[in-house]
Amino acid sequence: MATMSKNPRLPIAMSLPTQSSPALEERLVGLLDRCAATDPAALRELYELASPVLFGCLVRILRRRALAEEALQDVFVSIWQRAGQFRAERGRPMVWMMSIARYRAIDLLRHERAAPALVPELPERADLTEESREDLSEWLPAGVLERCLALLSDSQRRCLELAYVGGASHEDISRVTGNPLGTVKSWIRRGLQSLRQCLDS
Amino acid sequence: MTPANPRLVDRLASEYVLGTLRGAARRRFERWRAAGGLAAERCRFWEENLMYLAKELRPIRPPAHVWQSIQTRLDLQPPARRRSVTRLVAMAASVLLVIGLATMLYWRAVSPGRLADIATISASSGALMWQIEVYGDSGRLIVHGGEGARKSAGHDYELWALPAGGAPVSLGVLPVGGSSDRNLTDAQRRALLDTAQVAVTLEQAGGSPTGQPTRTPLFVVPLRTVS
Repeated sequence: MATMSKNPRLPIAMSLPTQSSPALEERLVGLLDRCAATDPAALRELYELASPVLFGCLVRILRRRALAEEALQDVFVSIWQRAGQFRAERGRPMVWMMSIARYRAIDLLRHERAAPALVPELPERADLTEESREDLSEWLPAGVLERCLALLSDSQRRCLELAYVGGASHEDISRVTGNPLGTVKSWIRRGLQSLRQCLDS
Repeated sequence: MTPANPRLVDRLASEYVLGTLRGAARRRFERWRAAGGLAAERCRFWEENLMYLAKELRPIRPPAHVWQSIQTRLDLQPPARRRSVTRLVAMAASVLLVIGLATMLYWRAVSPGRLADIATISASSGALMWQIEVYGDSGRLIVHGGEGARKSAGHDYELWALPAGGAPVSLGVLPVGGSSDRNLTDAQRRALLDTAQVAVTLEQAGGSPTGQPTRTPLFVVPLRTVS
């Protein structure tokens, strides 16, 4: 960041905390436990930590800020109400919260008649600017899926990314990529099948 | 009722988590998942693993009013306290702290701090349309509308930062007549660090629905650093 700083008087506020992943996870689990015990301060802290990631996810799927802001409220209301159902031994806290956010967004897309028909292109890896290093890597597990994703064809991987990250339906992906619906469906089905085999092995 | 075929449950779970299972099939699967058992277990498996696909997702800090709405919806204001001497002392101390903070915030609200960057947009006639001021230390964007800007029915003018090598970042809708004063988000501040030019596009009322300019810019002007 330092090299691109045009004006040092503008403070740089990073959206993501800098702890290592296990420490971060432990902290999130502790906060969820305190939320389950109805401690409002814990929700505030959890919001500070996790809201940028969840909001980024919602904006990406819903495309419209106002709708994403509303969805983010719903997500944190759900987190507060369902914190007691979170079980650390069954999965990681960020995955649990991210799933609540994604399902809420997909649900809203269903109700939104004005849902955008077009999903913009995902940036190619090589095009990412230095700023994009502020990514989700520290929230993510060690690269098991990365190894498995490398086994997929480019088309299969791209379809999975458009669906997962952009909330795109089969029809959206067919429109965006210009491939027939049947082809898109089969890429996704086969992509998931390969991942399943690779993850199970 | 969950189907007995575990392979089918797993396939549906993967498509549910990916998001491509839609409509009635999605709602039916949601019921199976809520019932627990294999459907819920396979969903957790796919949720854990597919999250890696979000690797390139960019975090965005939400505006402050979202947290306020969450607090209101959950009724999370601190509960009223019983009175005691220590509590009264604590209360007096908090009142003083609040007054101090309020004074500081008021002062900050009145004085936006040092001007960091400035851009001027004028009509071809020379009439001033907007003067754009970025205040670095308080992170505020103040826009003074001039006489040159005319309202275009059903449309709004939107201001964009054009960071070097990146996509345009919206700085919001511009006022027509009058001024606006708003706080920059972290993403906007970051974009402005590397921005030497700003642009104005005519968008639908309320601003571009896509988060990116939908039309060719009407103006592209330099953003000058004030030293």
